[in-house]
Amino acid sequence: MAEIRLVDIEKKYGNFLAVPKQSLTIVDGEFLVLLGPSGCGKTTTMRMIAGLEDITSGDILIGGDRVNDKPPKDRDIAMVFQNYGLYPHMTVRQNIEYPLKLRGMAKADRAARVQETAEKVELDALLDRRPSELSGGQRQRVALARAIVRKPRIFLMDEPLSNLDAKLRVTMRAELKHLHHELGVTTVYVTHDQMEAMTLASRVAVMREGRIVQLDTPKRIYSEPADLFVAGFIGSPSMNLIEGAIRGGVFTAQGVSLPVTVSDRDDVVLGVRPEDLEIIQRDEAPIQGRLYALELTGDSTLVTLRTGKASVCARGPADFEAEINAPCHFAPKPGVRIHLFDRTSGQRIDGDAAQGTAA
Amino acid sequence: MKDRLLPYWLLIPAFVIVLATTIYPLAYSFVTSFREWDLTKQRRPGGFVGVDNYLHAASESGFQNSLWVTTIFVVTSVALTLVIAMSLALLLRRKGRMHTFTRIILILPFAMSPALIGVSYRFMFNPEFGVLAKGIGAVFPSLEGTPWLADPDLAMAILVLTDVWHWAPYMTFMCLGGLASIPRETEEAARVDGASNLRIVFGIILPQMKGVLLVTAVLKTIFALKMFDQVVTLTGGGPGVSTETLAFFVFNVGFKWYDMGYASALAWILTAIMMVISIWYVRMLLSERKMATA
Ligand SMILES: Nc1ncnc2c1ncn2[C@@H]1O[C@H](COP(=O)(O)OP(=O)(O)O)[C@@H](O)[C@H]1O
Ligand SMILES: [Mg+2]
Repeated sequence: MAEIRLVDIEKKYGNFLAVPKQSLTIVDGEFLVLLGPSGCGKTTTMRMIAGLEDITSGDILIGGDRVNDKPPKDRDIAMVFQNYGLYPHMTVRQNIEYPLKLRGMAKADRAARVQETAEKVELDALLDRRPSELSGGQRQRVALARAIVRKPRIFLMDEPLSNLDAKLRVTMRAELKHLHHELGVTTVYVTHDQMEAMTLASRVAVMREGRIVQLDTPKRIYSEPADLFVAGFIGSPSMNLIEGAIRGGVFTAQGVSLPVTVSDRDDVVLGVRPEDLEIIQRDEAPIQGRLYALELTGDSTLVTLRTGKASVCARGPADFEAEINAPCHFAPKPGVRIHLFDRTSGQRIDGDAAQGTAA
Repeated sequence: MKDRLLPYWLLIPAFVIVLATTIYPLAYSFVTSFREWDLTKQRRPGGFVGVDNYLHAASESGFQNSLWVTTIFVVTSVALTLVIAMSLALLLRRKGRMHTFTRIILILPFAMSPALIGVSYRFMFNPEFGVLAKGIGAVFPSLEGTPWLADPDLAMAILVLTDVWHWAPYMTFMCLGGLASIPRETEEAARVDGASNLRIVFGIILPQMKGVLLVTAVLKTIFALKMFDQVVTLTGGGPGVSTETLAFFVFNVGFKWYDMGYASALAWILTAIMMVISIWYVRMLLSERKMATA
């Protein structure tokens, strides 16, 4: 186990700046998730930690040692690749055994360790198969076993679940979480799936265009997004973002008027999550429009209304029914959080966020 | 005409051309191999002699010599070509301006005609004025004036060298294609797991290249078995009979000694050898495939 410190690291591919200068400390034993849309530099960051990619400038410290010039094998890391990177010409047993063999462990010890690891990830029945004879989930587990067998100080995982089907992804997510709890190894995990990030992480680093825009616990990322990008990226369905202005302590846009505790200004974006809105039947509701769409998701109905150019979505009860184009009214649930952002900079306004009115 | 028959009608021209240009000569030479036919005496094939022509091959020293020469040539040239091609491919697979440039000039040896290669090397190894002979003499004075192509072993070595020089670039491209299809992640996983560069090459890359190397080896074997042009232009089969390959020997029997029956039998022996190798290769490849995808 070890702490990882990235100090002013930067990565350029020729003239292209993939990761601009920034620092990040990953504390011992933590499960840190790098989250961001595809192409934002998550893999690059992880590969720099692994030593598979040179860094243009800056320092990487693992457990206090500067490892910039150390090859991957001397960094005491294990990595799970997106496409698993299993050795196709070796059996499952040989795949898992390979890192031990390379480090000169005695044969008998190796066999015992492979057996123990295989049992941990429920592969013991498949040890003599080849990777091509396994399903996606099983391959995933082989990759995992190969990573944990050596008991490294650090795990690096690059979208390890993205090639699995939705159901298996949920199962494997739970297994990963359990494994981290059991082993307590510092883990850096890359994903573009916000659900994975929220469920797995001790802390999430949300990245955009190579830059970390917010580093926080999943709870705070969700309840207090630092800017419009994070606000829109986290949550499903995503947060409603409505452009407007504040006049006399009230946020105003077409069909929307919500009292807020921020002084008057123009160019404001109001954010409110669908699950924080409820459907009401009064005429003087804070958000008014015409019903645009109804989507039943099983345990609830997503109700979208349209007012002017904006559409606003609320999570209503599963049995909600109404005619399309009928007048529709939403109000924030009592005590929920209303978010305000500066429209030009995208930054959150007022850390001490305004409270929604009781409906 | 029924639509159902149309495809067959459309196939007929191609079928006739194939029949006329390959099947007919093949069948003709096969039949000839069981007949007596001395071109100096008969204008048409003579009587059937059973397997006499084949039996003659078994006891004739010219044929046995050519078989031995061919074996030496095939084994050394295939092995050298593969090792060099694979090594070059490993060096050239990274992207970069120098790599691209080198890849481009690598095409040149393959673009040259084998006959021309033979003539050029013959000149270059001329002890009086050859560039290579002089160059080697300058670096190793004791080798100055060596009659390169007059020594049986050296002549064979030079024949192999020119063939490797001709084929290695093409085989390099085949290996480059194979390397490109290996997932980069297996190699990186091995690096993280702690493998040295050498171990990655032998333990991770080469095993995954097995299929490609097999194809390359068999193609090269078949090309080497047919070695003819460079023998004619470089060594003329000599000194003595020391570089008389099977193909060259068959040509001599047919067009120098005009023994068409015997030449046909020899050609069919060569064909049989190639067929055995091809069948063996297809079986190897199929079992390889089965292992990879089962
Ligand atoms: N080897 C490379 N050469 C040039 N550009 C690269 C290379 N690898 C990645 N990039 C670029 O760097 C950016 C970040 O890539 P990456 O870290 O793979 O993103 P992510 O993993 O977040 O999807 C992308 O714009 C990508 O095109
Ligand atoms: Mg990536």
